[in-house]
Amino acid sequence: MCKINKSLCKKFFTISKKYITFEFNLIPIFMKTHFLFPNKYKKFGWILFVPSLLAGLILFISEFDFDDNFKIKVFALINDQLISKPKYFTIVENGILDELILISIIVGALLIGFSKTKNEDEFISKIRYESLVWATYFNFILMIIATLLIYGFQYFNILLANVFAMLLFFIIRFHYMIYKLNKSTSNDE
Amino acid sequence: MTNNLKVLRAIKNISQEELAKIIGVSRQTINAMEKGKYAPSTILALKLAKYFKKNVDEIFVLEDAD
Repeated sequence: MCKINKSLCKKFFTISKKYITFEFNLIPIFMKTHFLFPNKYKKFGWILFVPSLLAGLILFISEFDFDDNFKIKVFALINDQLISKPKYFTIVENGILDELILISIIVGALLIGFSKTKNEDEFISKIRYESLVWATYFNFILMIIATLLIYGFQYFNILLANVFAMLLFFIIRFHYMIYKLNKSTSNDE
Repeated sequence: MTNNLKVLRAIKNISQEELAKIIGVSRQTINAMEKGKYAPSTILALKLAKYFKKNVDEIFVLEDAD
């Protein structure tokens, strides 16, 4: 083709070169998308997570009546009581402390688990991913055991804890693996 | 996969920490690679090769098990 039309040939190669460069430029952009928060959000995560988890545990153990304190009117997509049929799109009075604590635990845990570490790189990302897989298996094995062994109202409590349990297992596993790694690295001085 | 990162690093006489900084990864990553616990991405392997002025397959070598 080059023999027939030199200028056309030149044009073709310029375009294909441009195209290739364009493609090469795209790859690193895709690889840098890790769906993680910046490092500075990690400490906000701890500030939200630890106090709300402790407060939740203490109030739960002391059988605090969440429904009778901090009551305000809230919008309910669905609301039902034990005896009545569910109502949709209503305004109900509700003690909001349990909702606040649970949301604070979840948001806190997400920020801790999914903020970049100070020295985030591909190896740390791999440890994060493996910890997440481990936590998923661990959580659902526990859920199977609980489903087989726990009956009655206690099973509802298990489900409540399960709202954030997987995130908790993930955070513990991830930080334990990083800790182990740091220990073995500092032994190799 | 095996590698001779530790040897190359010894020849250059730099620590894991220094190499990590130059390449732009954590020290744990360098350590894990030297121990054979972590196979780096192509990008990281190329960066290391560039720094040591070697070809990638002069640093990282496939084993039968791969």
